[in-house]
Amino acid sequence: MTDLKTPAVTFDKTRTPGTLFSTLSIPVAIVVLVVIGAIVSPSFLTVSNLTNVINANSTVGLIALGMTFVMVCGGLADLSVPANVAMGALVTLGAQPVVGPGAAALLGILVATAGGVINGLLVGYLRINPIIATLGTGSVLLGLSQLLIGGGIVYAQPSDLANFVKSSILGVPVLIWIFVIVALILQPLLSRTAYGRWNLAVGGNYQAAAASGVPVRFTKASAFALTGLLSGICGTLLALSNGQARPIIGTGYEFVAITAVVIGGTSVFGGNGSIFRTVGGVIITALIGNLIILSGLPTQATGLITGAIVVGAVGIDAYFRRKAGRE
Amino acid sequence: MKGFTISTAASRVVQYRLLVMLVAVAVFGGLNVDDFLTINTLQSVIDRATVVGFLALGLTPVLIAGQIDLSIGSTMSMAGITTIFLQSYIGNIPAALVGLVVGVLIGVINAVLVVVFKINSLVATLATLLVFASLALLVTNSYPLSSSDPIFGIPLTADFLAIFTPRSAMFIAAALIMFVWLKATPSGRNLYAVGSNAPAAKSAGINANGYLAATFVISGLFAGAAGVLQSLSTAAGSPVAGAVMLIPAITAVVIGGTRLEGGRGSSLATLGGVLALGALTAALEYSGVPSYTQAVYTGLLLILLITLDRLVSGDGTTASRTHRRVKVEPTTPRIP
Amino acid sequence: MTKPEQSALALRMTGISKSFPGVKALQNVNLEVREGEVHAIVGENGAGKSTLMKILAGFYQPDEGEIQAAGETVSHWTPREARDRGIGMIYQELNLVPDLSVAENISLGAMPRRGPFVDYRTVTVLAKSVLTELDADIDPGTRLGDLSISQQQLVEIAKVVARKPRIVVFDEPTSSLGDKETRVLFDVIEKMRSRGIAIIYISHRLQEVMEIGDRVTVLRDGRHIETRDVAGVTPDQMVRLMVGRDLSEMFPKLDLELGETVLSVTNISRVGQFEDVTLDVRANEIVGLAGLVGSGRTEVARAIFGLDPIDSGEISLRGKVVRITNPRKGVAAGIALVPEDRKGQGIIPALSVRENFTLAVITRITNALLIFARREKAIVTDLADRLKVNPPQIERPLNAFSGGNQQKVVLGKWLLSEPSLLILDEPTRGVDVGAKADIHEIIGEFAQSGGAVLMISSELPELLAVCDRIFVLHEGNLVAEIPRAAASEESVMRAATGQVSAA
Repeated sequence: MTDLKTPAVTFDKTRTPGTLFSTLSIPVAIVVLVVIGAIVSPSFLTVSNLTNVINANSTVGLIALGMTFVMVCGGLADLSVPANVAMGALVTLGAQPVVGPGAAALLGILVATAGGVINGLLVGYLRINPIIATLGTGSVLLGLSQLLIGGGIVYAQPSDLANFVKSSILGVPVLIWIFVIVALILQPLLSRTAYGRWNLAVGGNYQAAAASGVPVRFTKASAFALTGLLSGICGTLLALSNGQARPIIGTGYEFVAITAVVIGGTSVFGGNGSIFRTVGGVIITALIGNLIILSGLPTQATGLITGAIVVGAVGIDAYFRRKAGRE
Repeated sequence: MKGFTISTAASRVVQYRLLVMLVAVAVFGGLNVDDFLTINTLQSVIDRATVVGFLALGLTPVLIAGQIDLSIGSTMSMAGITTIFLQSYIGNIPAALVGLVVGVLIGVINAVLVVVFKINSLVATLATLLVFASLALLVTNSYPLSSSDPIFGIPLTADFLAIFTPRSAMFIAAALIMFVWLKATPSGRNLYAVGSNAPAAKSAGINANGYLAATFVISGLFAGAAGVLQSLSTAAGSPVAGAVMLIPAITAVVIGGTRLEGGRGSSLATLGGVLALGALTAALEYSGVPSYTQAVYTGLLLILLITLDRLVSGDGTTASRTHRRVKVEPTTPRIP
Repeated sequence: MTKPEQSALALRMTGISKSFPGVKALQNVNLEVREGEVHAIVGENGAGKSTLMKILAGFYQPDEGEIQAAGETVSHWTPREARDRGIGMIYQELNLVPDLSVAENISLGAMPRRGPFVDYRTVTVLAKSVLTELDADIDPGTRLGDLSISQQQLVEIAKVVARKPRIVVFDEPTSSLGDKETRVLFDVIEKMRSRGIAIIYISHRLQEVMEIGDRVTVLRDGRHIETRDVAGVTPDQMVRLMVGRDLSEMFPKLDLELGETVLSVTNISRVGQFEDVTLDVRANEIVGLAGLVGSGRTEVARAIFGLDPIDSGEISLRGKVVRITNPRKGVAAGIALVPEDRKGQGIIPALSVRENFTLAVITRITNALLIFARREKAIVTDLADRLKVNPPQIERPLNAFSGGNQQKVVLGKWLLSEPSLLILDEPTRGVDVGAKADIHEIIGEFAQSGGAVLMISSELPELLAVCDRIFVLHEGNLVAEIPRAAASEESVMRAATGQVSAA
């Protein structure tokens, strides 16, 4: 029997040029960037450079992992990330003299997670538009964080924890280990658990998911709580490894995270996505930033090129998606 | 029956939120700040609201069309820098015009990304935000440009009709013109159609893509105007001037009542939101509250209003099941 | 009803062929419609009906063939040209703007102006006159989104009629309507016909075709099979032509011995929706829930399942009183609801058939953390086979399948949850004849294996054929319980229109 009953279908899901493109595009892009890098600068293809690059992006990479869940479940974006990062960082350092480094770090992470939970309540349970909600909570939290320290800067006290964070295990920096471990935990969470399936369903069709017994409000809320948690961890790690923190510490992180997720091929509309692809996106974003620095372009150009690449990646994906879908 | 009165009270508050806000601000300001309730303050409030006001006005048609434009801050910065830069080369007025053109151009870029490349407006304008924010920093090497003719911009903030300044008068005029356009012209009504149900609008022969493109161009133009006015008045082209304005602009629009879902909105509502927010900010500032604390208050206000709105009016989904209870009595009843 | 056999031709489509990559949607199809005629087009999903209409409306260009209408012969045209030549389309999905008023919707895209402004007086006058012509009691100033579905459909018709069309195409117009609204629609069609408008009527409901049609054209697999006078054909013959085979038992009815009471609903009420409803369903039984649109049937179903709360009353399952406050509890209690709105509440379009199938029971096929991928695949493959999902490609996204297949997946999703009570809300709406028979068979099997079924349907023949008992709602009240022996279209309709006092 031919496809006459479903005349609009032209391709099998696994064989669209578009899907093929997306599956291959990340490794291909990475290879292309590495090649360009090797050409541009002799110091690119060294272990120390590449390690540095990944290391520097591990913290923002954590946020991209959380942002993946946010996008997949249809939560669009979490724009309060800079505030939660700042909170995590400032509390971690600010509370150190009072409760000690370990407890202070936990406290910092807790505060940021609380911010994420508030986002979750607003977006998941009150069904407020996530852009507005997270912009609102972000500005409140950022303002609060600035209030906390009177707009200045906080310094870290020397501690074993800070030393640990800055060290390496088996030649790989701890930050990278943390990123990898978290990614390895979150990947099956999204792709192979019921919770992950819920996220995909909620992003795919909220009403239908609800009518099928999926706990939709919890699912959406938890994505934001998770991002808050990861933002807190990011802030804490940044503060400990830099030895200092200012409220602007997280500026722009939400954009970098969204860029990484989008470059990785996850749709802003939700319903599809994978942690591995986001990791690919993080690597690509990191390589691009590194290439810009090594080629002598001013750092301000990073935003430019990243923006252009996002447009390119999403545009191409949208094009293939349209070609392969129904008229 | 207690629940009944509380919820009606809440819905009344939401409905008349602007009025409530203005009254609250007036009371708070009047008590805490000397000479708050004066013409001077009013003039100052309206004037300072102008720049954010233009941003918010430009955003309104975009939201009505069901899209979003996050790049307005970067556009504003770029326009401002361009104007200041060109002032000494081609003169003040031409420089200002070119600044506006820059705004339009960025709007066109957004339009192309969304309409031609079919990229989601959130992602597209996020990308343009990044690109042009970086470009602004690049071009100015991260320092603000100084104007070669700082005197030119001064009259913009001078006295005009007692409670206005020339630039705030422009803002109010723009708001009124947009209001008329949206409510009383075919193209305005078509815009609501596009935002409310784009396929239906298309079937009716409305060029939905054209309208979408136009909204981004308008948003770019108004953001450009904001940048030009700001830079001329401050006699400086700052590469980061616009970045901090995005959130107040969105807050103002939301306070005014325009929703992000599309199909609804009004420029007068935005005007009201801008003024209310401006009044609040002024009152806080005159009371000595530092700017980051102001951000806390504005953010809390935004969340409070949105939450109240949601609690009172529900999900905002159109044609919910409960409305099916509306009865239709056909005038010629038939018995099968 | 005069049959204008000798009237002029309003439309002639000749030799229309259209192919998409890999699919021949239409092959050499002819269609002739006369002025003042109601010409029905029937055929299974995928037969080519909507492709043909899209070509007529100008959205597609045919590869071959011509369209003759309004004195013009063209090989294709743009939607705008089609509209200007007097072709009006009324689709199943209404093309209306919820946030504008009724009057603005009627004039959408062609608003009368005064200078640069909208001439609101003319807009309102035009709207009022068209609505009155259609006997629609709707205030033109109302926001469209505040109207009911059938009222919105009347506005859609008004919008088309306001442009004085010569040809109007109705695509499945009654699928969201109950009997009362269908009457209103038929009145409107009658009025249009008497004005000489040529009407094309596409529907799965052959009873309606028999009632309102003058001639009927059957399409199958993209080909024109036959065009006959409605007077000279029976629904069975139409089905045979559509399907190419004899569907002798469209509604298989097995006589089963009934088991214990599974569902017992006592005096449940929900303010504004329904009041004091009492009904019960036994194992092995299929109980119907009938009523006009707006009578509260879907609301009752949703309340039983837990999507909406009840204000008072009691629900018991197998003798035990239950309080179900959300769908998860409903599923846990052994209830399943196949919703009325397939697209909005039934399917997750972007997910695969497999993922859709297992959505309701996903927590049951996991160990502590991870999903059993192999088991999932096995279950799904078996289920797709049993339900005759065609083509049986379970990894394909669900939006690539026809309505009938999608409905089977939704049904299968719920069958997987092994419910004691299966509630179905319009299970065969928008589903082609072949899939419909399959679905009835599945429901029958479910009942046979001990399940209890509560079925809502606006298609009386379906209820009459399948159900052991029929409860009837009228304006939110339960007014009748009719056993199979006493059930007829008359008895049910009488109750549904309120001519019977509550039992």
